[in-house]
Amino acid sequence: MKNVLHRILWRLLAGVGVIWGAATLTFVALNITGGDPAIAILGGDQAMPTPASLARVRADYHLDKPIYQQYFYYLERLSRGDLGESYRLRIPVAQAIAQQIGPTVRLALCAGCLALVASISIAIFTARRSRWVRGVSSAAELVGSSIPNFVVGILLLLLFSFRLRWFPATGEGSWKALVLPTLTIAIPTLGVITQVLRHELEEILEQPFIATARARGLSETAVRLHHALRHSLGPLVTLAGSYFGILLGGAVITETLFARQGVGRLVADATMNKDVPMVLGVTLLAAASYVAINLIVDLINTALDPRTHVS
Amino acid sequence: MGMWRPFFLALVPAAAVSVGLVVAGCGRAGASYESAESSSPAPTLNETGFFRYHAADYVQQSAGRPGGTLHISTTTDTTILDPHSASATYIEWFGRLVFDNLIYLDSSGVPRPWLAKSWKVSADGTTYIFHLRDDVTFSDGSRFDAEAVRLNLAHMRDPATRSPLAARYIAPYLRGRVVDAYTFEAKLSRPYAPFLNVLAQSFLAMLSPKQIRENPHSAIRAPIGSGPFVLQSYVPQQGLRFVRRSDYRWSPPCINHSGPAYLDEIDVDFIPEALMRYSGLASGQYDFTLEAPPQDAAAIRDDPDLVLDRRIRQGIPYRAIAFNTGAPPFDDVRIRRAVALAVDREGIVQAVGFGEYQPKADFLAASTPYYDPSFRNVLRYDPAAANRLLDEAGWTERYAAGYRRKGGRRLGAEFLTSAVSTTPQVASALQSDLKKVGFELRIVQLPQTQLTDRRIAGNYQAISAGVWHTNTPDALYIVHYSGEISTPSQIGQNTSRLRDPVFDGLVSRARESGDPALLRDLYSKAQRRLTELVPSVPLYDNYTLTAYRKRVRGVLFDTSHNTPIFIGAWIDDRP
Repeated sequence: MKNVLHRILWRLLAGVGVIWGAATLTFVALNITGGDPAIAILGGDQAMPTPASLARVRADYHLDKPIYQQYFYYLERLSRGDLGESYRLRIPVAQAIAQQIGPTVRLALCAGCLALVASISIAIFTARRSRWVRGVSSAAELVGSSIPNFVVGILLLLLFSFRLRWFPATGEGSWKALVLPTLTIAIPTLGVITQVLRHELEEILEQPFIATARARGLSETAVRLHHALRHSLGPLVTLAGSYFGILLGGAVITETLFARQGVGRLVADATMNKDVPMVLGVTLLAAASYVAINLIVDLINTALDPRTHVS
Repeated sequence: MGMWRPFFLALVPAAAVSVGLVVAGCGRAGASYESAESSSPAPTLNETGFFRYHAADYVQQSAGRPGGTLHISTTTDTTILDPHSASATYIEWFGRLVFDNLIYLDSSGVPRPWLAKSWKVSADGTTYIFHLRDDVTFSDGSRFDAEAVRLNLAHMRDPATRSPLAARYIAPYLRGRVVDAYTFEAKLSRPYAPFLNVLAQSFLAMLSPKQIRENPHSAIRAPIGSGPFVLQSYVPQQGLRFVRRSDYRWSPPCINHSGPAYLDEIDVDFIPEALMRYSGLASGQYDFTLEAPPQDAAAIRDDPDLVLDRRIRQGIPYRAIAFNTGAPPFDDVRIRRAVALAVDREGIVQAVGFGEYQPKADFLAASTPYYDPSFRNVLRYDPAAANRLLDEAGWTERYAAGYRRKGGRRLGAEFLTSAVSTTPQVASALQSDLKKVGFELRIVQLPQTQLTDRRIAGNYQAISAGVWHTNTPDALYIVHYSGEISTPSQIGQNTSRLRDPVFDGLVSRARESGDPALLRDLYSKAQRRLTELVPSVPLYDNYTLTAYRKRVRGVLFDTSHNTPIFIGAWIDDRP
């Protein structure tokens, strides 16, 4: 137990380091890509602000100060938990993210659960089956995992929305509107997870303890569900954790295509418009989520694998 | 959007900004407009060279039926809704729903009464006296009066508003005085005839004085106006909902609509993908799209349930390339002219515009009053003439690859673009056209923000230029006057960094004049001068492209921005 606490503490500490690193890297990246933030704040290329407005904005945002000083202003603000005000939206970044996080989490959870349940089912069904079953399944997974999100999305739209009219193309509100976006993100993820999981299952199904279980007269389904699956959960959880980033990337495209609310679309627009505080805010959120998810993955693996139980 | 801002233009033939003139009433619009097929979106060019649209597009023809909700799709999120704090195109249609202005332009571009019943301009052009309506209220109950006008002009100019546009458009405004409750006097630092025109733009609309006084920041998300609709809700990245104001009765007299709007409600959804806007319209999920995708224009035309509307935006047309006239090689006007002559506009425009765009070889949008078509062929595609000019300029030797050389130097230039400002197809078409006359155009694609940095710093040989839309031919001044070149403390739109005393003199005098005959002469000379100076390569006239279902009737178009207005719109549910 002490060991676990120690581990959590260590992880949290490393997490702060990761977040600081992400903050610094993003700050540097945004500054070396150029672009005068004052212009971004005052409407970008479509603008013709007065000299008075320009001077005022430069002073308000410390843009007249050297870059290292701006960095310290930024870290100091961050340490107080203040993510700043979005240039483009002119509301606090935290507020903008809070408004948009719900739909993204909902979409990511639905897509994540669907991908997991489906890939587990498919892998269990197809592992060590006839060449024909595995061949078809592998080919489908390969195609699914190599088609980009937006192509999957457009194909789904053409079929289920424009032609069959089963699901609405855009909007939010009803569960129906969530179906196509969920599939758009889940399908490529599904392909990869299934492939890895089947490979894992097939190795386990070769193990002697499986033969023992079969010899005890257990049905094939019971063997696969109770024995083989349990032993392949560790790698699965790790893989699922690392797929979080892909879900977020998928959200950028999916939210724009289906005109949904969400953090993905928020950060896409912010990047296009040089909205530095917003990009930094979302980056930090993503870094913090990674840290949290890795911690959770670690704890689940600890619980799953008796070898890590140290008393 | 890809390009810069829209605005639009006015001041016109028989126009009337002049000294001591009191404007009242409107006259039937259409008097100066030729009639065209109302259903035909194609404008016609008459002998005076003006593009004319049907008067019915600007003036209500018959009463509609009250009731119903209009479902609209638009591309972008309307992130900032205080019109004084924004420069984005969406303000143009949004403003006409929620706000009113002092002035409205009639369909010929002449300033006409709206919230200002009449006005007088002093003989020296620096004092404007506005007589205001006394029956107008904002949706928060506050009253429209002279103090409201004073507060609005102050709010536009306040650096805290961070105005990207409105403040600059009223730059000559010095101070305002409340003469009495409904009389306002504006003092300008110098004569500025476009003042009345810009006051008609949605970007200079009237906000509630109570909101400006008590919580100006709240106008960014929840602006309060006196317009025919009230903004009921704004959901970021989703849309806007508007409800009708049943006590509205002060629309501009010259659009011939009295009383409240017909629609009960308007719902606007943000749909970024073109495919979704088109399919949403075709399936009937939406009644109207504010940005019809050009690639679907033909399909929309062929659909018996849909109407497509295409309208030239006034001001400066889309320019493919702005030359830096202050640096080699484009400090030599012969090379600028040769490049402009070597571009096959017909071919490029056909390829990128899906047949929807008109090639353009001069410098003022054809729908702009005082547009002079006399010079429209001066820079037409003529590779033989381009070759002669380059020969004359001494670039006679050739490398094996076909590029010209002079004294060991290759003829060519770097052309800075971004993915949004010039599509790759346009850039490579320009490159191959210029190669045919021995000119090497080296395309450098940058992120938009870096492109903006370089543009403002003047650090380029040639650069993507875009458009500038405003409701006055003063656009010529904004985009080519030497004082509008960017400096570290001032951002200007003179991207060609043109410094020509002759041109400067013409457009400055036009700013000070209210005399239509003089304006016609000055603006004509200014347009001719630009075809001599060749500051850029014009490519096509920019459009608003909207589409809607036939059951939507009574759609009018705004005379300042050419975007749809919905005060007279109604839904025809009769079978």
